[in-house]
Amino acid sequence: IFHTTVSDRRFVAVLLMVLQWTRLGLPSPLRPICDPRVLDRFIKEARDTEFAMVRVCSEGCSLAEPLSVPLTSVDFAIWEKGDVSEQAQEVQSGLWLLAQAISAVRVSITSTALHSLLDNSHSNIHSIGQVIRSLNFPEYTPPADGTVHEDTWRVSSTLELFRVHTNFLRGKVRLLLSHAPACRRDST
Amino acid sequence: MIRLRQLAPWALLLVFTCCQNASPGLWDAGLEKKADLLMRVEHEEPRCFAEGMRDLTCFWDEADGGTPHLYRFTYTYENEESNECVVESQQREGSETRYFCKLLKVQLFGLLDIRVYRGETLLYNRNLLINLVFLLDPPANLTVTRTGKPGQLKLSWLPPPLKYMENSMMYEVSCTTAGSRMEKVVQGNTEFTLRSLRPGTEYAIQVRVKPDGLTYDGYWSDWTLPISMRTLPDDADPLILSFSVIISFILVLLSLTIFLSYRRFLIKKMWPLIPSPENKFPGLFTVYGGNFQEWLGHSSGGLWQRPGFFYLEELPVMLEVLSEATMSPPVQIQPGDSRAPGLLKETTQENEDEMLPKADSGMEKKWDPDLQENWLMDQFQVLQQSSTPPSQSSLLESKDAYVTLSQNFDQHPGEGKLEDISEESLPLHVLFGTTETSTSHPDLGSLPQSSGSSQLSSQSSFEYPHNTWPSKSLTYACLTMADSGISTDYSSISSSRTGMECIYTNDYKNQMPKERQPLATPPTHTGCWVQEQHNSSPT
Repeated sequence: IFHTTVSDRRFVAVLLMVLQWTRLGLPSPLRPICDPRVLDRFIKEARDTEFAMVRVCSEGCSLAEPLSVPLTSVDFAIWEKGDVSEQAQEVQSGLWLLAQAISAVRVSITSTALHSLLDNSHSNIHSIGQVIRSLNFPEYTPPADGTVHEDTWRVSSTLELFRVHTNFLRGKVRLLLSHAPACRRDST
Repeated sequence: MIRLRQLAPWALLLVFTCCQNASPGLWDAGLEKKADLLMRVEHEEPRCFAEGMRDLTCFWDEADGGTPHLYRFTYTYENEESNECVVESQQREGSETRYFCKLLKVQLFGLLDIRVYRGETLLYNRNLLINLVFLLDPPANLTVTRTGKPGQLKLSWLPPPLKYMENSMMYEVSCTTAGSRMEKVVQGNTEFTLRSLRPGTEYAIQVRVKPDGLTYDGYWSDWTLPISMRTLPDDADPLILSFSVIISFILVLLSLTIFLSYRRFLIKKMWPLIPSPENKFPGLFTVYGGNFQEWLGHSSGGLWQRPGFFYLEELPVMLEVLSEATMSPPVQIQPGDSRAPGLLKETTQENEDEMLPKADSGMEKKWDPDLQENWLMDQFQVLQQSSTPPSQSSLLESKDAYVTLSQNFDQHPGEGKLEDISEESLPLHVLFGTTETSTSHPDLGSLPQSSGSSQLSSQSSFEYPHNTWPSKSLTYACLTMADSGISTDYSSISSSRTGMECIYTNDYKNQMPKERQPLATPPTHTGCWVQEQHNSSPT
C-alpha cells in the first residue's frame, strides 16, 4: 500500500526533468572492444558461409537483381594516410549495405541450412557495428533518400556477394578495428 | 636541329633500353629460391606470390628461347581499369626461359584478374586475392638455447616484419637428429620450448613461417638455416640407479620373508618325509639293527608297553574275577571247580578257549565286533547261567549290577557302540576308575600303560536304562582288569548296590575269540562287576 501525496509526485517529476536535462541518466559509454579475436571469429564464420555457398552454387547462383556492395580493395599506402573517421564512415556504410544485401538474398534462397548461415552473417554484421560503436567512432546513419556511398559497386551473384562480404571484413573492417584510436590509447 | 633529329632515334633507343632495364625485374637468388619452392606447391599458372604488403611477383616458364616482347601481362582490380606489366625474362639451363612480372602497387582484399597474352592469344587467365598468396622470407634470428632440464631446448625467433600481419602468423619447427625428423606447428608465438627430446643428443633446429589462413594466407616459407644444439645429458641416471637398487633390495627382503614363512612347506615339498615305522618299534633299528626276532625277544615286556602294536590280533587279557558269596548259584565255569565260583584267576588261554565257546552259545550274536572283551561278557553269562537263563537279556535284567570299564573307542565312536550294545541288551556295564586302581594296587605297576596308540580314557560310565532289566538276582563280581589291549563295552546294569568292595587289578592276557574283532585301543581298566541275581543275597 503505497500512498503518494500530490507533493511527492510533483517532486519526482521535477527530479526526472532535471536529470534528463543534465543527462546524468544517460547510459555509460561502452567499453572499447579491442580484442582482435572477436573480429577474427566473425571473419571465420563469413569464410565458412562463403565456402558453403560455393558448394551449393556451382553455377554461381546469379541474383535476380544486382545488389550494391562496398568496395573491398585496400591499398595500404593510401589507407595509412587516410582519415580515421572517414574510414569509419566508409566501413559502417559498407556494413549497412552488406546487411541489406544479405537480407535481400535470404528471401530468394530456399535451403534452410543456408538460411541459418545467412542469419548468422546478418547478426554478425550487427555485432561488428556494435564493436565499432564501442570504439567511439561517430555513428553512421544510412541515407534516408536511398543514395549510396560512392565506393560501391553491384554484384550479380551470391558467390560474388559473399566473397565481398568476407574480404570486406578481412580488409577494411579489420584495419579499422586493429588501429582504432580507442584501442591504441588503452595499449600505449 | 639536324643533331637533335639524328639524336632522336638514339635517344629513343636509349630510353627504350632504359625503360627495359628500369622495370624492377631483377631476378636475384632469393626470388629464384622462392620460385623453385612455388613450383612444387602451386600449379596454377602464372604462379604469383606476394613477399610483403606492397608487391606481387608472377612468373611462368616457357621453352621458346627467350622472347619477352612476345608476352603481355595485364591485371585488373575489381571495378577498375586494367593495367599492364612489362614482362621480363631470365634464362635458365637448357632452353627454358623464365618470364616474370612484378607489380609494385598492389591492392589487397580485392579480386585481381591476371591475363597473360602471347601475341594475341590468351595464354593464362587467373583470378586471385593477393592477401591469400603470401610467400614470406624465413624467420630471422633463430636462437636455440638449453633450458636447465635434459631433453629440452628453448627456441626463439623474430616474426616477419610486416605491419598488419603481426598476429596472423603460424610457424613450424623442425628438429632433426640422426635418422629422425620431427615437425611441430606453433600458432602465433615466436618462441617455443621443445620437450621430450632425447638427452645428450645433437639436434638440428629449423623454423618456417606461413600466414595463418584467416585474413592472410599463402605458402610455407623456406626453412631457416639449421642451428645445431646438443641437449643436456640425462642427469637422472644416478637417481634411477638408486631407485632400482632400493627396489631390488625390497624385493629380496620380501622373497626372503616369504621363503622363511613357508620354509617348512617348501622343504616338505622338496624333500618329502618318507614315513618310517621306527617310532612303533623302539630300538628295533637302533639297537638291534633291524633284527626283528631279537627285538621281539628282548622286548616282550614291551608288548605291554605297546599294546597297540599287538592290536591286530586279540589281546590276551588276564582276568581275575573275585566274587565271594555273592555268587550263590554256582558259577558254571567250564574249566571246572578248581576255580572258585566267580573266581577266575589267571585264566589261561586254554581256559578261555574252553570258556568261550560256551559263552558264545549263550550270547547273542550281536556283539559289537569291535569289543575286545566280549569274552568277559561270556564269563559273566556263565556265572549267571545257574540262576538266570544264560542270555544276555537275563543279564541285563539284573539291574543292580553294573560295571563300568574305562574304554577307549578312539577308533570307533563309543557312543554309537554303546547304543548298539544297549539295543543288543548287553549285560554288563562296568564302572571303574583307572586312576584309582593305578594308585592303590601295586599290581598295577605292571599294568600295561598304553602307549600313545592306546588311550587311557578317563572314567566313562555308560548307564543303560535301568528299567529294562528286571532285577532278579544280584551277583557281585569284582574284576579288576588291567588290560591294555582290551576295551570293553558293557551294557550297564544299574545297581542299587555300588559296593565296589573288591577292587583288584590284574594283568591278564586274554585271547579273544577269533571271530570277535578287538577294539582298536586297549584300555586299562579295573572295576567290579556287580550282578544282581534273584536268588542271591548280596554281601
